Amino acid sequence: MVLEIRNVSKNFGGIHALKDVSFQIQEGEIYGLIGPNGAGKTTMFNLITNIFEPTSGQIVFNDSNITGLKSYKITEQGICRTYQNIRLFSQMSALKNVMVGGHCRSTSGVFSSVFRTKKQKREEKALTEKAEELLDLVGLLEHKDALAENLAYGQQRRLEIARAMASNPKLLLLDEPAAGMNEKETDSLYDLIKLIQSKGITVLIIEHDMPLVMKLCDRITVLNFGEKLAEGTPYEIQNNEAVIEAYLGREEDVDIA
Amino acid sequence: MLADFINPYHLQIASFILINILLAISVYVPLSSGQLSLGSAGFMGVGAYTSALLTIHFDLPIFVGILIGASVAGCLGIIIGIPSLRLSGVYLAIATLGLGEVIRVIFVNWESLTKGSIGLTGIPQMGRELLNLARDFGIQPAMFGLRNNQFVYLMVFVILFILVTATIWFVFRQQNSRVGRSFSSIQMDEKAAESMGINITYFKVLSFSQGAFLAGLAGALFAHVMGYISPSDFSYHRAVEILIFTVFGGSEVIIGSIFGAIFLTLIPEVLRFVSEYRYIIYGIMLVILMAVRPQGILDIQLLSKFKRLKRSKGGVR
Amino acid sequence: MLLEQFINGITLGSIYAIVALGFTLVFGVLGIINMAHGEIFMVGAFVGVMTTGVLGWPLWLAFVASIVVTAILGYLLETFTLRPLRGKRGVSHLAPLISTIGVSILLENLSHHLFGAGNKPFRTEFAEMSIEIGSITIYIVQIVIFVISIILMIGLSIWLSKTKAGKALRATAENLETASILGVDTKKIITLTVIIASAMGGIAGILVGMAFNSVSPQMGLAIGLKGLAIIILGGMGNVKGAMVGGLILGLSETFLVAYGDSGYRDAIAFIMIIVILLLRPQGIFGSKIVEGR
Repeated sequence: MVLEIRNVSKNFGGIHALKDVSFQIQEGEIYGLIGPNGAGKTTMFNLITNIFEPTSGQIVFNDSNITGLKSYKITEQGICRTYQNIRLFSQMSALKNVMVGGHCRSTSGVFSSVFRTKKQKREEKALTEKAEELLDLVGLLEHKDALAENLAYGQQRRLEIARAMASNPKLLLLDEPAAGMNEKETDSLYDLIKLIQSKGITVLIIEHDMPLVMKLCDRITVLNFGEKLAEGTPYEIQNNEAVIEAYLGREEDVDIA
Repeated sequence: MLADFINPYHLQIASFILINILLAISVYVPLSSGQLSLGSAGFMGVGAYTSALLTIHFDLPIFVGILIGASVAGCLGIIIGIPSLRLSGVYLAIATLGLGEVIRVIFVNWESLTKGSIGLTGIPQMGRELLNLARDFGIQPAMFGLRNNQFVYLMVFVILFILVTATIWFVFRQQNSRVGRSFSSIQMDEKAAESMGINITYFKVLSFSQGAFLAGLAGALFAHVMGYISPSDFSYHRAVEILIFTVFGGSEVIIGSIFGAIFLTLIPEVLRFVSEYRYIIYGIMLVILMAVRPQGILDIQLLSKFKRLKRSKGGVR
Repeated sequence: MLLEQFINGITLGSIYAIVALGFTLVFGVLGIINMAHGEIFMVGAFVGVMTTGVLGWPLWLAFVASIVVTAILGYLLETFTLRPLRGKRGVSHLAPLISTIGVSILLENLSHHLFGAGNKPFRTEFAEMSIEIGSITIYIVQIVIFVISIILMIGLSIWLSKTKAGKALRATAENLETASILGVDTKKIITLTVIIASAMGGIAGILVGMAFNSVSPQMGLAIGLKGLAIIILGGMGNVKGAMVGGLILGLSETFLVAYGDSGYRDAIAFIMIIVILLLRPQGIFGSKIVEGR
């Protein structure tokens, strides 16, 4: 088991964003987190990466309790994420963005950086090579010197994935990676995520594009109003009465996350 | 021969420019990780008074005094930085502004030690000491055809130049490394930086205390160049002036701070009327800059344009 | 003696509270520290000196003049320095801070050129009048200051909680986007906030002038810093916190001067900032830390 969410709840000033949610993610699978807007999906990501602490419950990663650990320590442990509203370092080149992702897998401090010790040079070279490799993986190698803010929308999404990958995650959290992408881009995103899976990385994905989710995911949890509605394989979810009701039965409300 | 070219007055202005460059960099480094420090004048004062008092009362060599002065300022930076940097940037700005004022209040009131608002006089001067040192080695200014005061100003300039060059080299190298990337990622998006595994508190305190150290260094050098200091040398006005060097010159690139310090030190020397209305002009400048060009005169785009221009010229040849 | 000091402290504290209210209103609505607030306050004090001292106007007219001048300054501040930075892409959160610093040194040095660097006396017809109750001496000035401050604070509280504009202001402070969705004209509310905050600064300027019988261009920074210390103490953007924080600072300064070293009076504000940041960064009345501003 890579990630275990145990009875997690989160209140924001009396409003239940998440209520007693539990699920488990097995190693190597692609796990989907779906639900109407405002169901608490992004909140779940923010709890896993400890942007907020859960009001109650536990988050266990590789058998160790990471609840309340500082965000950067969680990344060190091997969880890295992307954001629904892309958060790249906009004034940095694509290459540097990815190199920042490799921060926690490198060690050079002030002294070795200023005096360019052998170890530091080796590390920088490895970091650059790794970053180029990842840019190649997401198809952005030719844009490596472009500033992140000058990249097209779909490219920015893929750059964010490459940046997260640079931290050597065991678990990758993707928050609506296909948002705003056309069909062709979505197809190549599918290939990319499958490729990431084949490298032995577990993926937890929030996505609204249902065909993509159903094609991609091994298992899915459906959230509705902060509560877990259903869990199962794509086939089970598609035929679940409660899920159909939740998706068809009402208008989507405002996203609180 | 050489003597004809060396004008002590010009050398002194050049030395002030160098000290101001150090001060501008002391604001630039924290800004490169998104931290605004209004305490640079205070840290400068701490460096200046520490080094001056140590050299006056304990006969320490000047260079030891300067090093201790800068280090004390750096440590103070860590002490102030840790509580304020856990919060948002606004708290740091207020805390540093308060620090600057309280340091000044201490200088004014601790009369037995600091001589109050009159300030300290008789601080060992770097130039004189260097002259004496040279004489001990049997070197006389006359051997180069220089008068004593020419030699003194020249030596001060050379020492400052070496220190400033070393500082720029340090900052430049740090910038193009893992540490520098962490600074700028924090500046651009703190939350994203943290979720990339960067310990933001550590790097913020690091850049802030480096700034404090540099300001302390500049202050200590100032004390030993001038020979006398008083609390008014380290007032809030000074802090704003230092801030303007960087904000005007360009806060995204280190060359901006250097340019800002040189330009804004020279202008009042060249245009006397500017000197009188200096702070009024500074004030208007800050408002206009923030609205029109918040990154300052020199920025990355402009520099890369220069580079391209140079390259294309080279291509023609 | 003790009671007398207590009264002095309350008087001073109520002025500080009004200065701090100006900071806290702007921070609450805009999330900005207005570094020029101290200097607007100083200009208000000079308007008082000029109108009463040079023109010989009565005190109430001086208040009106000061309110008008500082309100105009507030309007100009909002129009030329704050609004151009709002909602612009790529503007860092430090830009308004730097911009208002620009305004602060501009105002300070303008008054320096206009009025000179020294202290100007602030005379009122009842400056020397006092009443004796037993062994305690209370100056009429103190009573006037105290009463005006209390009226101002109560007035502001009622305005914020009862009137439509006040409620709109609080809604804007709560969440700018939501408020504008709900039909609040946020642009108008923001302008109004800056004007009210500045006018309160102007009133505080006259009160300080009366309390210390002296006005100088440098007082903006000193008092401004105290205002900032108070809002950190009371919680950023918290109206009640600003009032209580002002009283705490006023009292502790008065007692330090009475029983300790008066030279270090200006250091108390700073020590307060550091202690609060270490122990309770959200301030006494703050409930959570606003991050990322």
